[in-house]
Amino acid sequence: MTPRREWFRSAWRRLWRPPRRLRTTAAGRTYLVLTVGVGLGALNTGNNLLYLVLGLQLSLVIVSGVLSERCVRRVQVRRLLPLSPRARTPFHLGWALRLERGQSFALAVSELNPVLRTSVGKLIWLAAGEEVVVRAVATAPRRGPLHLDTVRISTTFPFGLFIKSRDIPLPGELLVLPGRVAAPREPLTPSRGHGLEQRSIRGSDGGGDLAQLRELRDGEDARRIHWRKSAQLGTLLRIERDAQPQPRVVLRLDDRAAPDSLDGACEELAARAELLLARGAEVGLESTAGVVVKPGAGAFHAQAILRALARAGHEGITG
Amino acid sequence: MNGPRLQLVLRDLAAAAAFGGMAISGQVPSWVTGLYLAALAVALAGRRPFENGRVSALALLAAVVVIYGAVVMEALDLVVAACTTASLLTAQRMLSRPSARTSQQVHLAALLMVAGGAVLSADLLFAVCLFVYAILAVLSQGLAVIADAGGGAFPPLGRVLRPLFAGVAMALAGALVFFVVFPRLSWNVASRRGGATLGPATSGFADSVRLGGSGVLKSNPRVVFRARIEPDPGQDQLDAYWVGRRFERFDGIQWSSSTGPDSTERQVLLGRPQPGMTRQEIDLLPAYGSRTLVALDVPVAFGDAELHQPSFSVRTELVRSGDGEVRLAGPFEHVSYRAFSAPDRGTRPPLDPGERERQLKLPARLDSRVPALAQELSAGAVGDRAVARQLEHALQTQYGYTLDLPGRVKDPLADFLFERRAGHCEDFATALAVLLRTRNIPARVVVGFHGGERAAGEYLVRAGDAHAWVEADVDGKTLRLDATPPQHRSAAGVGIAGWLLARWEALQIRWLDRVVEYSLSDQARLAERIRSRGENAAPRERPGVRLDENGGIALSVLVAALLLAALIGRRVAASDAAHLGRELQRLLRRRGRLGPSGWLDRATVQDPHLAPVREGIARYREARFGKRPLASGEVRRLVRQARQALRAAPPPSAPGAPPPPSAM
Repeated sequence: MTPRREWFRSAWRRLWRPPRRLRTTAAGRTYLVLTVGVGLGALNTGNNLLYLVLGLQLSLVIVSGVLSERCVRRVQVRRLLPLSPRARTPFHLGWALRLERGQSFALAVSELNPVLRTSVGKLIWLAAGEEVVVRAVATAPRRGPLHLDTVRISTTFPFGLFIKSRDIPLPGELLVLPGRVAAPREPLTPSRGHGLEQRSIRGSDGGGDLAQLRELRDGEDARRIHWRKSAQLGTLLRIERDAQPQPRVVLRLDDRAAPDSLDGACEELAARAELLLARGAEVGLESTAGVVVKPGAGAFHAQAILRALARAGHEGITG
Repeated sequence: MNGPRLQLVLRDLAAAAAFGGMAISGQVPSWVTGLYLAALAVALAGRRPFENGRVSALALLAAVVVIYGAVVMEALDLVVAACTTASLLTAQRMLSRPSARTSQQVHLAALLMVAGGAVLSADLLFAVCLFVYAILAVLSQGLAVIADAGGGAFPPLGRVLRPLFAGVAMALAGALVFFVVFPRLSWNVASRRGGATLGPATSGFADSVRLGGSGVLKSNPRVVFRARIEPDPGQDQLDAYWVGRRFERFDGIQWSSSTGPDSTERQVLLGRPQPGMTRQEIDLLPAYGSRTLVALDVPVAFGDAELHQPSFSVRTELVRSGDGEVRLAGPFEHVSYRAFSAPDRGTRPPLDPGERERQLKLPARLDSRVPALAQELSAGAVGDRAVARQLEHALQTQYGYTLDLPGRVKDPLADFLFERRAGHCEDFATALAVLLRTRNIPARVVVGFHGGERAAGEYLVRAGDAHAWVEADVDGKTLRLDATPPQHRSAAGVGIAGWLLARWEALQIRWLDRVVEYSLSDQARLAERIRSRGENAAPRERPGVRLDENGGIALSVLVAALLLAALIGRRVAASDAAHLGRELQRLLRRRGRLGPSGWLDRATVQDPHLAPVREGIARYREARFGKRPLASGEVRRLVRQARQALRAAPPPSAPGAPPPPSAM
């Protein structure tokens, strides 16, 4: 798209999406009805004091607009995303608000996203020069990357008659991990067309039975020294053990399935992966396109698998 | 005091100010005032007994049913009923559990009370209440919104109040701008006359003057009329008599006037116009409460009476009764008129026998000591004039003044002359008139006002200035005699209280002139003044003066309001009537005959050459306010005639010159 065309498109969008939204509260609607009533009364009777009251009422509407504008105008926002939000599980979403000068009152912060269900983050007062974090509880219905592009700052200050909102463009992505489901009792049993492959490996420094003692060589780990035998023989001896059989499991995901079915499969595989990793297995992930996550263990590896499962079907699975 | 507590106190005080704006009209039932004050006291003490609002809501509903039942039975005015309902609703909400919603309901109900107050009262006190309400409501509602916002502890009060005070200032300035520029378009389909403000009217003119009674007469400080006098006497305290009615028949207890044939006229002439007359433009205020017109002694002519409605004025006719009283034919809530008074009475033909007999007639059961007293007090005086002056002086010096009424006595005159030896102006006037009659001097009692206090270039006359004196027929001339001690003739305030009262009255007059009676023609004059200033002002650089952001916003608001007003005003001005009015005003301005009221200059209002102009103005008023539309081509004809008349008329005469006799 040429720059000029892009400029026209953004101008067109700005034209139809004004920088401020104004909604009336219930009290505001009553106030406006009263104002219209007083105005009609003034016109009908020619009573100048009613004109004076009408002037005050209209003036208060304008004052409300001016003061609320001062509240939302200069607020700067930085989004604070959670590390591992799970689908259907409430998580905390945060915004760091900052004001260079002036002060703001009665702020409400929310995300403008049709999928994400968020409560409103509230802040009673924001003074100039300090950054305040506002949190809200959010729930994502499905796994996958959520594109967040706008944060809405609202205030009912000063009279509670109108809610003035300012939409602040703030692009970002929230990757929602597969939701939690109950893991199968036997995690190594394949199910629903999504398979797994089990392999074993052996080594000489595992966690198995004692195999032999030998002299410690230079550079070897001192924690392997058998101190009692070393004291008896007068030389440093190290322990060598049989390697314990560690299961190595590769989970296979058919990412060509329908979205609902794929979501269910991802959640099930995520549950299996977490269970297997908790039991000490090394877990990897493959899709129909090939290996996605090589087998591995540990919390960091679990995150890698969950993130890969979160993206499955959205933009191709990548590790 | 913390923020939420301060918010509740401010909210309750704002509602109290709104109630005050309504209650000063004196039309709110006293039981409502009592209930409201009790509720306010409880709320300010921090008690909220209506935690469970159901019972109180039911009680409120029952009260509302009773109130509107009274409206149906025509026992209560609909506007008063609406105001009463709003005040009860406010009281109920004030005593309920505090919340942001409750606070908003209190403010909305208070706003209803403010609107009700605007309808019921035109007093300056309403402005004070509105001002206080605006400040407190803005502060309180701002605090309520912050307290309800959540998300942290309440911020320091000083930080919160700063923007709220800025909001108050902007709101008041904006209200003023809206008030000034909002086009005064009036459909006038539901106009309601302004209330008398602060209780009933008090001038006290009646068909008779009755002596006796019990209690204490109060010297009421309310201004009942104001007068602009030309030539200006230039005195701070006017020593003048304002004549209202004359009474000739006395039955021993009360004075009554002779009735004669009434005639209805636009202009009433009581005597022959003469050079050097005093011209008075008199405004009878709502507190006046009588149809009888007053003018400085000696009244010669009355005319140009106009009844002032909230948005326009209409001519009203005068009734001249047989005894020389001039009164209004129609409503009298707020009327202005012009009167001319002669500097002296001059000579007049002798009284006819019937009138002389009426002015000499003594009550049937006159105390026998009275003639003897008259003889005694006038002993040594030679001639009727000397007798009259001696009797006047004797009463002034030998009798005391009191506002205490004596109670029911059989013969109030004898009681005053021989028992109490003290009374008020009616006792003095009655005694002097009867004493004069016993000495065969025709006399009658005159009631009106004495005095006048200068304020804003005018003279204010209060209800307490009501006075009675005597006119005697001496040597073929009418002699004014006042037996009341001079220091008790009028009720002018003294000391700091008097000074404050005078300042308050001056403010009240400005309020009535510039706010209550502000009109479309005032707007046109203001626009004209701004335009002429703009044309005259030389452009100049003002380095260093720069609008900040708020100033820019305020200026934008002002410009937007002006544009809106101009747009609406332009549409309105498109009507034929408005066009005619504008053209006539333009012509009058060009010829230097545009008076302060927006139309003809005072001095030439009755100029016979200007009859076509008056016809044009009358047609403008009929078309604009009277729903009698202008015919096709009529505007052009009227404007042409007015232009020709203005060209042909002689240049305007000096102010204060007497009107031509034919005008009256």
